[in-house]
Amino acid sequence: MSRLELVNVTKRFGDQVAVSDFNLTVDDGELVSFLGPSGCGKTTTLRMTAGFEAPDSGSVVVDGVDMTEIPTNKRGMGMVFQGYALFPNMTATENVEFGLAVRKRPLADRRARVAELLELFGLAHVAGSYPHQMSGGQQQRVALARAVAIQPGVLLLDEPLSAVDAKVREELRTEIRRMVTQLGITTILVTHDQSEALSISDRVVVMNRGAIEEVGTPAQVYAEPRSAFTAGFIGAMNEIPVRIVSGAQGLVERRGHRVTAPGAAGLADGELALLLVRPESLEPLSATNGSLNGDLTLTGQVEVQTFLGATTRLLIREFPAGAGEGPALPPTRRIAVDVPSASAGRWPAGSELAVRVPVEASRVIAGRSAAEAARQTPTTPATPTTPPGV
Amino acid sequence: MSNPSITGEATEEAIAILPGARARERASRRTGRARRTPAWAAVVLMVAVVYFLLPLYATAVFGFSTGKHFTLQPLWDGLADDGFQTSLQLSLMYSIATTLLALIVVAPTAYLVELRFQRLRSTIEFLTILPFVIPPIILAVGLESTYGINSPVNLIASSWAPVLLMGGYFVLTLPFVFRAVDNALRAVDVRTLTEASASLGAGQMRTFLRVIVPSISLGLVSGALLAFTTAMGEFTLAALLGYPTFPVYLLNINGYQPREGEALVIVSFVITWAGVIALAVVARRAPGTQIVRGGPM
Ligand SMILES: Nc1ncnc2c1ncn2[C@@H]1O[C@H](COP(=O)(O)OP(=O)(O)OP(=O)(O)O)[C@@H](O)[C@H]1O
Ligand SMILES: [Mg+2]
Repeated sequence: MSRLELVNVTKRFGDQVAVSDFNLTVDDGELVSFLGPSGCGKTTTLRMTAGFEAPDSGSVVVDGVDMTEIPTNKRGMGMVFQGYALFPNMTATENVEFGLAVRKRPLADRRARVAELLELFGLAHVAGSYPHQMSGGQQQRVALARAVAIQPGVLLLDEPLSAVDAKVREELRTEIRRMVTQLGITTILVTHDQSEALSISDRVVVMNRGAIEEVGTPAQVYAEPRSAFTAGFIGAMNEIPVRIVSGAQGLVERRGHRVTAPGAAGLADGELALLLVRPESLEPLSATNGSLNGDLTLTGQVEVQTFLGATTRLLIREFPAGAGEGPALPPTRRIAVDVPSASAGRWPAGSELAVRVPVEASRVIAGRSAAEAARQTPTTPATPTTPPGV
Repeated sequence: MSNPSITGEATEEAIAILPGARARERASRRTGRARRTPAWAAVVLMVAVVYFLLPLYATAVFGFSTGKHFTLQPLWDGLADDGFQTSLQLSLMYSIATTLLALIVVAPTAYLVELRFQRLRSTIEFLTILPFVIPPIILAVGLESTYGINSPVNLIASSWAPVLLMGGYFVLTLPFVFRAVDNALRAVDVRTLTEASASLGAGQMRTFLRVIVPSISLGLVSGALLAFTTAMGEFTLAALLGYPTFPVYLLNINGYQPREGEALVIVSFVITWAGVIALAVVARRAPGTQIVRGGPM
């Protein structure tokens, strides 16, 4: 129940910068996720917040008090570790009770509070079990209960759900959200699962190579990514090369079609840029040569159909552009179009298709493609991820 | 933690309890490899068993007979001997003190090395191996010339004498205790446990005593037992520096009352093995060691 500020926090390991000039304010009771590829500095930032690692510069401030020099055990922050880190020699009850015992709460209070928490997390039946006798999901719940027991001002969760199976993960993330809302604990959740970040956070911090790429609500970072990196990292995104005709009017051109598109305003005339559009925003047209006024169209051949449940994704290879027709897709790139699975039968592999690119649902950004941006991050494969199940 | 690494740790722990080839042999037998043991291995095993058991058998036969038939009389005589009681007391005292000292020094050191001073690890490991490289006789001579009668710091003739022997024993037990404790520490994620404990508000001392010590209790027990038996059976240092400990007494009594001596040897052997077996039992029962989920409790 605190306001957490990270001010100009920087951390180097040797000559490698793990976190650079990180600035973030997390409001009282807010749940913020750190989302980013492996090695982008999420854990390091969290560890500096917790006090396990000292920043090279910058400060960690809680409720206006500078905590940078305060040791972990005096910070009153709850932490859940990726590998649970339960005390192996203690039962579930004893694990949850540990922090209360440290605080010298009277025994009766302690017992009552532990029982209450075990009940809240559905752990009453494993109260006397040792960690090795519990399932992964149960251990994870104990870890959460243990961290919450001390009524921390700030709760830090480092990939708390990565070690449990998909079903338990969804269950637990709903539980985490409910708990944070109920108890009003200021929470940071580290994850590289974008659907997790989007589904339970108040705000998402997208990180790349030790720096904040973008901060926004889940809807903002999903629908209006401000960078190609965010666009590519969160959900699947089509990147269609366009040329800026007039930055002043926000006019872009592609293959002879000119449209005004959001985001193009202010870019330099003649520049190459990217038009970003989600697969679910693209609309298949009935005729293959249809071209509607004020919209871009793409035509090509369906290469693969991928069944995703409610929708089916069509991967389309665009017909090659004629000479002088303007910027073309790189030859290996495909356009992804999501259609309702019920009607996917109309576009079997090999069939031809025209799709409308609704400009109102797309954005133009300058610069490199997300694939290139991601390639700069050593350990990240540049594959677009599937859209979240929200 | 994935399952293969867990079984790996369990095996390591088993080895930590009974270091050396025999433990490894047992471990591999448990994994079922022994069923394919070739004939020559059985022969080697037989030879080894005979080699170890024959002297024991001979000792027992000699110690528990009058020359013709079985009797426990030498044992009763040996137990009644004043020298036996005082020397055993002395040895017990030294062994317990050495064990405590070793644990109190080694456990926190190994913990800090694991947690914070990984760079010192190779140095510490080297130090703990020294007693294997330097024979006790060298240590004895060194101690004698440094702290002996002819030295300006004559500890042997002073009330500090017990400390001197304990110091020597401490060095001799270091390899065993460090190995046992270190193995146990490496089997748990010391850093994360420490961080978890700190995040819950615990200081370093509480973390060490309440979290780390209980999760390495097995290593501590095996380290303690190894230290204790090493100190109990140590002869060279005690004899050369002139301490009338139990092993020294045993050798002496063998000179003039051989049957009593041999009977006591058998008794001390049985006690040692009882200790080792007790350790193995503790190891199986200790919480947190039943690592394979769903196994019998
Ligand atoms: N103790 C350390 N010593 C040296 N380098 C480190 C250390 N901890 C982290 N790093 C480096 O700092 C960078 C950021 O690491 P960090 O663990 O914060 O990434 P992350 O975003 O949590 O990644 P993941 O999603 O894989 O957990 C990495 O390049 C990593 O190699
Ligand atoms: Mg991490």
